[in-house]
Amino acid sequence: MCGIAGRILKAPGRVGADLVELMDAQEHRGADSTGFAIYGIPRDDGFILRGMGFDNARISADMEDFRLILKEHGADFLEDPTFVTSDAAHYCFRMVISEPDDLARWVKDADTMTDRFEVQSCGRSLEIIKDTGSSVEVADKHGVRDMIGTHGLGHARLATESSVLPNASHPFWARPFPDVAIVHNGQITDYFTWRERLHRLGYRFLTENDSELIAVWVSHEMSEGLTLEQALKKSIKDIDGVFTYMIAGEDGIGFAKDRFAMKPLVGVWEDGEFAAATEEQAVRRIVSGECDVINYDGPSITEIWGVGNRRAAA
Amino acid sequence: MSEIVIDVGERPIREINEDIQAACKTGRPIVVRNTLSRHNLGVGLPPGANLHFEGSVGYYCAGLNTGATVTVERNCGWGLAEGMSDGHVTVGGYAGMSCGAAMMGGLIHVKGHCGPRCGVAMKGGNIVVEGKIGYQAGFMAHKGKIIALGGAGDSCADALWQGEVWVAGEIDSLGVDVDVVEPTAEEVAEVDAILEPLGLVDSSRNWRKMISGQRLWYFESRDAGAWLMI
Repeated sequence: MCGIAGRILKAPGRVGADLVELMDAQEHRGADSTGFAIYGIPRDDGFILRGMGFDNARISADMEDFRLILKEHGADFLEDPTFVTSDAAHYCFRMVISEPDDLARWVKDADTMTDRFEVQSCGRSLEIIKDTGSSVEVADKHGVRDMIGTHGLGHARLATESSVLPNASHPFWARPFPDVAIVHNGQITDYFTWRERLHRLGYRFLTENDSELIAVWVSHEMSEGLTLEQALKKSIKDIDGVFTYMIAGEDGIGFAKDRFAMKPLVGVWEDGEFAAATEEQAVRRIVSGECDVINYDGPSITEIWGVGNRRAAA
Repeated sequence: MSEIVIDVGERPIREINEDIQAACKTGRPIVVRNTLSRHNLGVGLPPGANLHFEGSVGYYCAGLNTGATVTVERNCGWGLAEGMSDGHVTVGGYAGMSCGAAMMGGLIHVKGHCGPRCGVAMKGGNIVVEGKIGYQAGFMAHKGKIIALGGAGDSCADALWQGEVWVAGEIDSLGVDVDVVEPTAEEVAEVDAILEPLGLVDSSRNWRKMISGQRLWYFESRDAGAWLMI
């Protein structure tokens, strides 16, 4: 059992604060770890990176090595990286980089460091913040409530398929595709087979988490020419297990639900803004009045919710 | 008798349920307000209690009911009246997944549509849905009746034991091991007797009654294909 949430605003606003509320209301569904994918106001050039290193005594050494790889690909830091540290062994970073010559090739080289350091999101606007602990703990530690953006995802994890580790939390970035993130509620039963196939195509997975597969699977299908809608529909036939997952990109959020209809999702539109969550009581944190909630209860369903205005002030 | 009003808001559910139980002892009608779609409201209600929930409720509302009369103004989440042994539960709008799961007696009346697997593993009692019943309605129902007046979704009456699913209207598809049978006049009269107090009798309905084909009651290797469908 996990809890997921999505939020779309009609103009840039306090999407971080809303997602923290949506996830706090669903903490009982899984408080092992909590994560957020926030789509801020997009940059015109360069990428924002989020991620973590696993030994906070090695921050400067990690940065040196990481920067070296960046430079080999014709890129560099555009701002000084910032860090969040705690009593835990791992540290989290945020950085802004100029554009590598070939993003996929750079990601592949940067991933040679993943035994101690990993990039967990990359995009013009996407930032993934994830950690062990509850929604409020992760929000306090990483300042999620202050994050401004147009849309985003949230996830509360109850680990069933793999260990509780900060980097095994959701959301997952669809490496190496910029600005794509997923959250998943359920279990993928054939993920090992699918990972093997995608491995052979050159994709890299950083955790043992079954959900990481979905991000790469959908992005791969899209890179092969499918639209998001087609990829979502195909996943219901091709991926085995019980799932409701949401996948976000720069222009919106899509979701797919398995053929057994095992994992709930509700949504509500109000005043041109959208909130979705596993449980209705969570969206009522955002829309407290009686409202017409959409129950996405049927089997094998998909939908895509678009994001309108990404740059105008709220 | 004047009603007792209980406010939900952000208070702990245990405290609200204790208030509800105390109010039930007075014998007065109870109105529960500001429900915010929260879970586990009014679980384990005693016989004779009379509750009305304003707005929408979350999961397991009126679960383990032992004889109370409950109305929900709008929608409810998963597992409405799960494990109910007796009572009468009415939902004004939509009932989420698994309403009446494992119920043993009493009546659930849903005025809107129903989510997937209503009456899953029910062991008695009746569920009346004025709208459409969702995917896999009556999944493995042991006993009791699910009566849908507005059609049924896919995989209707999947893997029944001795429960019955009655549908007036379109059925998107049948589940595994279902026999659709012509009901006798006596059987239709039994269903009408359930609908009559709800004011829902309509003699022009073209009923389809679904019961178990009994192939899944015992495993036989020639039926392996049907088992794999589940």
